[in-house]
Amino acid sequence: MSSRYYPIYQIGNPQLRIFLPNFWMKLVKPTEKQPPNVVQFKVPLAMTNYDIKNYLQKIYKISVMHVSSELEDGLIKPVFKNGYLVKEEDFRRAYVTLPRGTEFIFPELDCEEIKTKSEKEKEQHLQELEASYKKHTQQIKGRFGLPTWFTI
Amino acid sequence: MQMKLYIQAYYKFNPFLSNCIRSHFGPLLNSPNFASFCTTRERFNKNLMEFFEDKKNWGKDEIRSGRSWKTDELRIKSNEDLHKLWYILLKEKNMLLTMEHFYKENYILFPSPERIDKVEESMKNLETVVRERNKAYYMLETGEDGERPGVMVHNAIGLPMYHKQEQHDIPKYENIQWKKNNVHEFDYEECREFLKLYREKIRKEDNYRRKKNNRYVKGLLKRFKNVDIDYLKEIYPDVNVDQYKNHDFQIGHWEV
Amino acid sequence: MRLTFILQDFKKVGELTKQYSNLPDSYIKRSMEQIIYRTPDKPNYLRRSVGKKQIKFTENRPWTIQSKLENTLFTKTPVIYVEPIRDWSIFKGDRVEILVGRDKGKQGIVIQVIQERNWVLVGNLNMKITTMKMFKRKPSTVIREEQPLRVTDQVSLIDPSDMLPCKIEWRYTEEGEKVRVSLRSGRIIPIPILAKETYDYKTRTSYEEKDKDTTADVVSKITFTPRLCTFEMDLMDKVGIKEDRIPSPVYWY
Repeated sequence: MSSRYYPIYQIGNPQLRIFLPNFWMKLVKPTEKQPPNVVQFKVPLAMTNYDIKNYLQKIYKISVMHVSSELEDGLIKPVFKNGYLVKEEDFRRAYVTLPRGTEFIFPELDCEEIKTKSEKEKEQHLQELEASYKKHTQQIKGRFGLPTWFTI
Repeated sequence: MQMKLYIQAYYKFNPFLSNCIRSHFGPLLNSPNFASFCTTRERFNKNLMEFFEDKKNWGKDEIRSGRSWKTDELRIKSNEDLHKLWYILLKEKNMLLTMEHFYKENYILFPSPERIDKVEESMKNLETVVRERNKAYYMLETGEDGERPGVMVHNAIGLPMYHKQEQHDIPKYENIQWKKNNVHEFDYEECREFLKLYREKIRKEDNYRRKKNNRYVKGLLKRFKNVDIDYLKEIYPDVNVDQYKNHDFQIGHWEV
Repeated sequence: MRLTFILQDFKKVGELTKQYSNLPDSYIKRSMEQIIYRTPDKPNYLRRSVGKKQIKFTENRPWTIQSKLENTLFTKTPVIYVEPIRDWSIFKGDRVEILVGRDKGKQGIVIQVIQERNWVLVGNLNMKITTMKMFKRKPSTVIREEQPLRVTDQVSLIDPSDMLPCKIEWRYTEEGEKVRVSLRSGRIIPIPILAKETYDYKTRTSYEEKDKDTTADVVSKITFTPRLCTFEMDLMDKVGIKEDRIPSPVYWY
């Protein structure tokens, strides 16, 4: 197993058990409107529907009713404005349905809060600078060029 | 004084990672009752929130973490512990990948992306340890390591290539289909021109690299007076340093 | 399309900078490369990638955003001549005398070591003063920055016995430790504590544990007992799965 080679199937062989699976799964925001008990995943190409169901049931303890998946091409886009084209990696998109009655609401990040936080810090820094500058200019009013230690 | 060890492991060793049933995914240890969690129907599925990070860390500029596991630390641990740790790491990796995607969609920088590399490194180390143990067993019992074998072969164009061998249920001389795809009679006359050009390309690249090194060594000797020449010879074995050492061009503006 | 091999400048990253960062090598490499496109890992593709081939090392660390802004894809990297040094002798926290420039003859303490360029920054010495002009609401300010000094010519270590610059040599003690010794007085110059400082902690003992760190007790515990079985067989025994079926023979080719 440790060599990560998938052996051939022959009748009467011992059952194949994978102890250290190296599949990854990404939970993704649904692209279109969906019923509340359907969740979308991005998974590697080699993963089958049966794999996905087992993965969620055994590792994450999520009860899964049905899984369907489809292959999707990676986006093709120019690097710069008029640059050459580049293709992202292909992947498999999986639609997992949870049992009836359950629901999963995809959480949302408060982008405005994060952006305003950085802006607030900037403004605070500016205000401090302005205040110190005002203080400094009031101190040397009428005697420009003299060092500050002349004043008390 | 004994040095304190601080090691990152992503959750403490004991808690999670425990479930099992005979399946495609192999048994996981300490199996709970499978039916119990299938029947309980919660309105909001909380287990799916394991794919996301703790909400207190959202929107932070950076999230600090320790270092990855090393092979020496993993060699002490039993197979059971390694099996548990693998799933902890796997969950962490899934979480980080989803968060990376999540931040990317919202046009915000993903905080401290080096965590993904740390997790991957420790997973890689864990796999090497498991492989070592299995190798030792197979060498004792059968005299071969249980790895996937491979050989160096020449491909259809005549270039050397590493061929990873595959399992088959019939021997080689019976397998006609495999021979059709993989066994090639190497015609030198057919590939002669290609190989000629290919070798020329490699030779040109080597020449370019050698000339570049020559130029660099000349520049070094010109700029720095007290270069350690023995060390320079070690780094650039192709370059004839003694030839350039006392050359007229290399004297520069130094006072003699 | 211009296809390049993988970045070769990763070898040039100094060990002291890696030690300071406390990051895995793969991350430093990944952040330096700035790869746009990489061929898929399949047999019908050659292993090629489009990205940055060389980068210019400066005071900014190579994995930061600042260095990324300096080394955008279409900037040309000039050829920079760096003298190879066998044994690096000046570390962070060392007392040092400046041999050149405005602050010639002054002594200071090393703040930062830039091993890729043979540079060193000395605290509050060899400063460059720039005035930032008034821009919108921002008032004008004066900024002072340390300028780098070359290790080989422009700076020399100080002998702690007489506080004068000296030449040093690496020697071994009777216990087998590698130490620096000043040639004039023959006294050992100890390596300062600050040299082992990283981004995460000042000293090892002062490190604060994070939420997801394992403690030292858990790590140092020995739980492995060798048995004559593979990893899979051992786990199957623990769970209680019996597998008596014998795999049929296969041919490898």
